[in-house]
This record gives sequence, structure tokens and C-alpha cells, in this order.
Amino acid sequence: MKKLYAYIPLIVFLILALIFARQLILGKDPSVLPSVLLNEKIPNLNLEKLEGYKLFSVKNLISVESPTLINIWSSWCAPCLVEHEFLLKMSKEHSIKIFGINYKDKKEDALKILDLNGNPFYAIGIDKDGSESINLGVYGVPETFILDRHANIKYRHVGPILEYDMQNIILPILSKLK
Amino acid sequence: MMIVSIFFIFFILFSVFAENSINEKNKIAHELYEELRCLVCQNQSLLESNAPLALDLKKIVLDKINQGDSKEDIKLFLVDRYGEFILLKPTYSLQNILLWFGPILFLFIGIFITFRFFKRQSKNTEEEIILSKAEENKLKKIIDNNIS
Repeated sequence: MKKLYAYIPLIVFLILALIFARQLILGKDPSVLPSVLLNEKIPNLNLEKLEGYKLFSVKNLISVESPTLINIWSSWCAPCLVEHEFLLKMSKEHSIKIFGINYKDKKEDALKILDLNGNPFYAIGIDKDGSESINLGVYGVPETFILDRHANIKYRHVGPILEYDMQNIILPILSKLK
Repeated sequence: MMIVSIFFIFFILFSVFAENSINEKNKIAHELYEELRCLVCQNQSLLESNAPLALDLKKIVLDKINQGDSKEDIKLFLVDRYGEFILLKPTYSLQNILLWFGPILFLFIGIFITFRFFKRQSKNTEEEIILSKAEENKLKKIIDNNIS
């Protein structure tokens, strides 16, 4: 009995070490929040049209033949510019429908970026004051949501999608949802 | 003259009333800003943060107060979108039970262990003091022998 007491500090230490090691090895950034809306239908969004591009509403996302992406972006957001080429790759090479939400941007700037870098989006909606994105729980651009064929949110990616994220996170989830 | 003065009194009453209601709304807004987390600078409240998202959220909070929503309604609205993480003070719910009562639980475990420890020690010392009759006699003999 007495011996067991003596081991308590060691046991507590080992448990704590395991907990910390898990966080250290899995390496998830604790400031990245999972979406509360996971596995729920996407909320209604009232978006404005960007001239020359197709507008979309939530209706367009329901009963589609393959899963879709919603990407929240802005011309003033540097990480968005970085992920642009990967969005292009996904839409061109993997024929994924990406729906863009242009977040708190100037129309001219948004159009300029699309002209300059190419258009990865199947359709675009403008969220001028950012209030529609709040319904999605957006807290920083860029963010990307993966929707299944019935417009249920399956995954939320905070920050830019880079090569690694595209190959190891986004594309596998999309092919699983097919 | 009479009409003007009555109008004037009404005007003052109305402005006092309006100012009170504005103050009341501002107070509620201020309280909410303090209780809500800015999701960009995550250890700051909305009140302390100047991040664009915090400003947008503050505007939404203020709009909702002006629409007549209660504090709880507004919190629920934001929790539905951002999760409980947005509340700087966790709710008293079953999933947070360890968070709230953990410290008290550990305190009691500590008290229990300390209590056991001291009880055992005092038992040990008592055992050394109390000798059986035979042992006392034996001890006496040894002492007597040594003295003589």
C-alpha cells in the first residue's frame, strides 16, 4: 500500500508527458478552430453578383453530382494569393467546382486579381461587409469549406491551401465524399 | 408661452429618457464585448481587440441590442456560429464539469492524502510510546541493571 503512494508522482508525470507528447507529435495548431457547423447544412448566404462571373446561392450547392468547395478570399489577403495557384490546379486538373466568396473587398481589385491570376471559381458571390461570412463562422481569410453533394459541411480549412494540404487533406476528403 | 414651456418640459423628459435607454444599451454592449472572445487575437476580448473581425462582431452585437435581442440571444447566435470558444467564461454545462469542479476535486484528493499521511505518522509515534506490561518490566530491568 505504502509503495503505491510513492509511485503517484511518477504516474501523474507519465500521464502528463503522454498528453503533451500527443499534442507535440500530432502538432495541431490549437488556435485553429474546428467548424461548429460540421455535418450540418450550409446556412443561407445573401451574396451579391460580381460582374462577368456567375453568382451562386445555397440552392446551387444542393444535390450536385460531386462534392464542392467554398473558398472565402479577398484581393488584399496575401495568403489568398498564395493559395490561388492550388485552387486553379484543383479546378482545372481535378475538375472540382469551387464556389468563391469575395470577402470585404473592392470589386475592381477582385476583378483585377481574377484577370491577372486566372479564375479558379465556378461561381462567385460578394460579401461586401463580411456579415454573411459570419454566418459560416469565418474568422480569417482564406478559409475553405468542403461540402458533400447535399451541401453539408464536411471540413473547414483555416489558412491557405498549399501543395501539402491539397494532396493530403483536401483531395482525399473530396474523393471519399464522391 | 404656456405651450412652449410644456413642450420644453416634454422635450427634456424625453431626452433624459432617451439618454437613459442609450446608456442602458451601451452598458449591455460593453458587458457583452467583455465576455466575448476575439477569434483573431484569441486571448483578447472584443472590447480590447481592434482586429477587423472584432469590429464586425461588435457591430453585429450592437445591431442586435438595438433590435431588442437579449444578452443570451446574442451569445447563442454567436455560439451557433463560432462555438463555445467565443465565450471567455465557459458555460456551466455537463461537458465543462471537470473544468469547473476539477480544482475542488483535486483539493479534496489533496486533503485526503495529507490526512492519511499524518494519521499514519501519529499512529507510528503512538506505537513507539505505548509499551506492553512485559516490555515495560523488561525495560525497567535493563535500566536497573545498568545503574547498579
